[in-house]
Amino acid sequence: MSTTTTSTKSARTSTKWDVEYQTIRRQKLFSNTPRDHTAFPLLHAAVKPHVDSFNALFDQGLIDEALKDIGTHSVTDGDARERNARTPRNTLDLRVKEVLLDKSYLPSTNKDSLAREIFPAECRERGVTYRGKLRARLQYRVNANDWKEVVREIGSLPIMLRSNRCHLEALPPADMVRRKEESEELGGYFIVNGNEKLIRMLITPKRNYPMATLRPSFEKRGATYSKFGIIIRSVRPDQSSVTNTLHYITDGNVSFRFSWRKSEYLLPVVMLLKALVETNDHEIAQGIIGASNSSHPPSSFVSDRVELLLRTYKAYGLKTKKQTLEYLGAKFRPVLLTPVTLSDEETGAELLRRVILPHLGNINVSAAQNNDKFQLILFSIRKLYALAAGDCAPDNPDAVSNQEVLLGPFLYGMILKESIHNWLLSIGYQAREWIRTRSPPSFTDTKFEGEFLPKIVRKTNENIAQRLEYFLSTGNLVSETGLDQSQTSGYTVMAEKINFYRFISHFRCIHRGSFFAQLKTTTVRKLLPESWGFLCPVHTPDGSPCGLLNHLSHQCVVQTHNVDASGVEAALSRLGMTKRSARSVEDGLSIQLDGRVLGHMSVKRAREAAQLLRHWKVRDEKRIPKELEIGFVPTSNGGLYPGLYMFSGPARMIRPVKYIPADKVDFVGPFEQQYMTIACTETDIIPNLTTHIEYKPTNILSILANMTPFSDFNQSPRNMYQCQMSKQAMGTPSSNMMMRADNKAYLLQTGQTPVVRPPLYNEYGLDNFPNGMNAVVAVISYTGYDMDDAMIINKSSHERGFGDGVIYKTKFYDLAEKTGTGGRASRSKTEIKSMFGFADTDTNVPSDVLFHIEEDGLPKIGARVQEGSIIAAYHTVMFDPSTNSLRNLDGQTHYLKYKDSEPGYIDQIRLLGSETGDTPLQCISIKYRIPRRPIIGDKFSSRHGQKGVCSMLWPSESMPFSESGIQPDVIINPHAFPSRMTIGMFIESLAGKAGALHGLAQDSTPFSFDETHTAGDFFGDQLLQAGYNFYGNEPMYSGITGREFAADIYLGVVYYQRLRHMVSDKFQVRTTGPVNAVTGQPIKGRSKGGGVRVGEMERDSLIAHGCAYLLQDRLMDCSDKQRAWVCRDCGSFLSVQMVPNPYNALTGRRTVSVAGAGGSVPPSGIVRCRTCAREAGWEDSKLRVWADGEGKEFVGGENTTVVNVPGVLRYLDVELAAMGVRTTFTVD
Amino acid sequence: MSQREAYQFPSSSGGAGTGYAGYDTATGPKVTYICGECSAKVPLEKEDKVRCPSCGHRVLYKERTKR
Repeated sequence: MSTTTTSTKSARTSTKWDVEYQTIRRQKLFSNTPRDHTAFPLLHAAVKPHVDSFNALFDQGLIDEALKDIGTHSVTDGDARERNARTPRNTLDLRVKEVLLDKSYLPSTNKDSLAREIFPAECRERGVTYRGKLRARLQYRVNANDWKEVVREIGSLPIMLRSNRCHLEALPPADMVRRKEESEELGGYFIVNGNEKLIRMLITPKRNYPMATLRPSFEKRGATYSKFGIIIRSVRPDQSSVTNTLHYITDGNVSFRFSWRKSEYLLPVVMLLKALVETNDHEIAQGIIGASNSSHPPSSFVSDRVELLLRTYKAYGLKTKKQTLEYLGAKFRPVLLTPVTLSDEETGAELLRRVILPHLGNINVSAAQNNDKFQLILFSIRKLYALAAGDCAPDNPDAVSNQEVLLGPFLYGMILKESIHNWLLSIGYQAREWIRTRSPPSFTDTKFEGEFLPKIVRKTNENIAQRLEYFLSTGNLVSETGLDQSQTSGYTVMAEKINFYRFISHFRCIHRGSFFAQLKTTTVRKLLPESWGFLCPVHTPDGSPCGLLNHLSHQCVVQTHNVDASGVEAALSRLGMTKRSARSVEDGLSIQLDGRVLGHMSVKRAREAAQLLRHWKVRDEKRIPKELEIGFVPTSNGGLYPGLYMFSGPARMIRPVKYIPADKVDFVGPFEQQYMTIACTETDIIPNLTTHIEYKPTNILSILANMTPFSDFNQSPRNMYQCQMSKQAMGTPSSNMMMRADNKAYLLQTGQTPVVRPPLYNEYGLDNFPNGMNAVVAVISYTGYDMDDAMIINKSSHERGFGDGVIYKTKFYDLAEKTGTGGRASRSKTEIKSMFGFADTDTNVPSDVLFHIEEDGLPKIGARVQEGSIIAAYHTVMFDPSTNSLRNLDGQTHYLKYKDSEPGYIDQIRLLGSETGDTPLQCISIKYRIPRRPIIGDKFSSRHGQKGVCSMLWPSESMPFSESGIQPDVIINPHAFPSRMTIGMFIESLAGKAGALHGLAQDSTPFSFDETHTAGDFFGDQLLQAGYNFYGNEPMYSGITGREFAADIYLGVVYYQRLRHMVSDKFQVRTTGPVNAVTGQPIKGRSKGGGVRVGEMERDSLIAHGCAYLLQDRLMDCSDKQRAWVCRDCGSFLSVQMVPNPYNALTGRRTVSVAGAGGSVPPSGIVRCRTCAREAGWEDSKLRVWADGEGKEFVGGENTTVVNVPGVLRYLDVELAAMGVRTTFTVD
Repeated sequence: MSQREAYQFPSSSGGAGTGYAGYDTATGPKVTYICGECSAKVPLEKEDKVRCPSCGHRVLYKERTKR
């Protein structure tokens, strides 16, 4: 025994998987969870972009870069209105030197716990946030003395699971189970208030690449603006970005646009060029037109415009760099809010540093970096003129080639950066507020040092991390700068665990941005060939988010770290790259690396250079990284602007393909892919042209799309439906269900591994999360209950557990919330207002309560509850200082009730303590189990977009049977196939049948069969060998008559999913019930017991059918029918009144004043119209006279009657009367 | 005292009239729970802090009744 355990321990857990069932191996993985590493690395690779980008915040120093970019915030004392920089002032410099994030630990006030860590599972159970303490090293100095330093706690920051700040980071599966996690816990999400939240990946424009753009909205910016522009999204090393735009003005001028704190500013581009470097007009002209030594004549289009560009700039009269910077600084000083002590020139430089192409230098910008910016702007102008002249095509912003991914954690870091920046600003503000009270108001005040922390810093809002928690829980971006994003909400989603497919898809999903959802054009939703291999063509929802919500192909990787691409420039220099540009693009192709102009080369040389670079890159030579993207855009006739563009930065999508010459893996990006020849299969290879080949054709599909068996046989929309439906199946969300407290969780009790599946199924470890069951399916029209996608389930299969499932609901009951002592934080004993349990002196506890509830006031585990059942008892308490205890005074026990209409069972009860571990019981969570056997009306589907509703549980003895005595579990109607063309389902049926007969797992990878080697033949032969019909159909006998059917029936094994849409959650029925208070009509909403609207079209069809009584019943009798008195003469509802009974009901005598106490009038049953009546005179008979409530006597108005009218009609009448509109009703 | 020891008819309403029957009201009821971390049995009285005395864990589970 011991030898076997040691041998398994020493052996590394294998990560190789094939298509087989691997029953024993999986059993061993379960019973002996690996201690070294996971058996499913592919699964973990799927969430890598999320985890790695979070790690990069601290590992790769993104936060440090952000702090450097924020720099030092300086405030000065003295009069703020005094603008003279010469006045002597004291300066307070503030900066944050470092930000530290701790793992999640108990607060030091908790002295009882040995284990100090807070693990994610506890946060899920207790419904709190998984977060760690965030600290900032704040430094300050006055008048450039030595920096003084203080470490401040700035709140608790939510931590991503399995990141480098999570306790679970490197735990092997065995420890993961120990920490109450799933053995294959993936991480990549946050836990906020007990909910699993993740930040969506978003599509953003490609960074550091001048994009030629045609946008008609540019013309609306001003009188002479054209639709042409160059947009550069420049990304700083901390991953925050700035968008710079060059506008082409119709007269040939170019203006530069940027935005700062959500306001937009425009600059003449020449001013910018002159501010960046010490230059002259000649140099600028040469940079745009090309060096004058080349033989090519200059293009008159460009040279004319360059002349204009330079000529119009003369108006400013700024010649040197210093003059220009001073001019800029003076103009932008109020915008940048720089201190008065900073000179105009420095302010101008600060502007250039912050917003002008900061990817080329944003900290201590050197002259070389400014020259880089200068060169890139020159290139952009040249490209803009080419675009305006029609020499080049605009870059398509909707193509993946011009896009990259905004990784959630990068955004998270940006928000943190901005919050820290704002904090510094607020400290500066508070410092100025403080010196206002001093005389003289100066930072050199002796008390300043002592009061800086308690009086200044403490007055600011130091809970910076709370902003990030808010961001995660709501998905709203609250930002002064907007962070260069186009949307303000919808950044986070709940990582729903309806089943595992749904869960894993969240991490692979990429959204285009909610801005594009409102767009009426469909261009942004189109499936473009550029997406090949990066975004799955199948896995996108139908309906409104179609094409906007995409999923990454399963082999697509998002790069999250910077790679060392320093070898590129050196290698290119040796290949003949020059710094000088040429007049024709052919002679001087621009060569750029991450948006920096390295130099120029002729097209011919550049093509060879690109090939060489790729060769080196694949072979890992010359310090050229594998992740480098080498996009060689050749010269063309009006195509994309040519150049050699290389990218090495993070947030790019890349994917592995095979480089044929070296037989090695090459990572290909979407930009270079458009100019590459990548064969899909061996047969596609064209000699001397094809350089790459796909490892597998199925690499273009997402994880879910890969799971559809034989998807290449189906009509394509069916595969899309399947991707949607597999995410709605009741399955196995996780294997640690008892450790989770989801609000609602679906569980399939009898999940199975599919007989027909691709090998990827095992590689992703999906057998840990079965999502359906294999069913024997007969395609036959048999019972008459199979109209329109209805399906019949064999009653005996149902009794054996086919599709059996449960719903778990967890509800939190917090006494502190009820009594309003505030949130869940700090509940000292004296503040407690109520407690669980029975009141000590309560003498009136009902007997049925005692049966359900135990002495602690909580129910028994396993108790059945239904609507109105009592589930917990509590009582109010007061703190009694004399005995130091909590005492109940009123002797009353209150009860909490189960409110759902559906009966359930109590599965678990958790007693939730607080983080500090010092409070009595105030909060519990109860997990209910609601059994959901399939019933008529529940939804099922196969894996081919063939959904259906169970219409009958057909008795087993009446089911048809085959010659070998097999009965189907499920019967579906043959009409489901002709129009939908889901041939894949036939193949699956065939393969499943053969697999079940031979005990095989069938490989269902798409694109593995062809015309010569057909799936039908392959599986048909297997069936033949098992003694069955080659074509999969077989003679069957009626279960009712016992006679053979005239036709052979197609019978096979298909994997069926049970979808979470169940009638029990949907049925809605009502005759009478709650009504709207104003109209008297039924309210809507299933949860409120409302009705289903009989709308206009329903009404029309009832009229057309002549169903008058039905219509009457729906629209009157079951709605707002009222009996109302109306006057037949004047046709008014409002003038009739009930004549008060003149006789006292008690005495039987006629009373003088009719109105009783409180003005109430006893009705007499006689109704008269007041307007049709006249006042009674002496001559009128007493029999005809009637009196109103005031005793006034009238005669006439007798012609009143009762009619049935809709209540809203009278309401309308009253409303119209209030506006002076009279209505008249004719009563027949 | 003698009155109290006299036979009482078993009634479903338990100890109606004496508050919650059978418990010393001074200490309150004592129910055992299971620690979510170390699976130790945790006896908890009415005003006790919600935490496992042996490991200090803050989530306790109610035990399934044996009946």
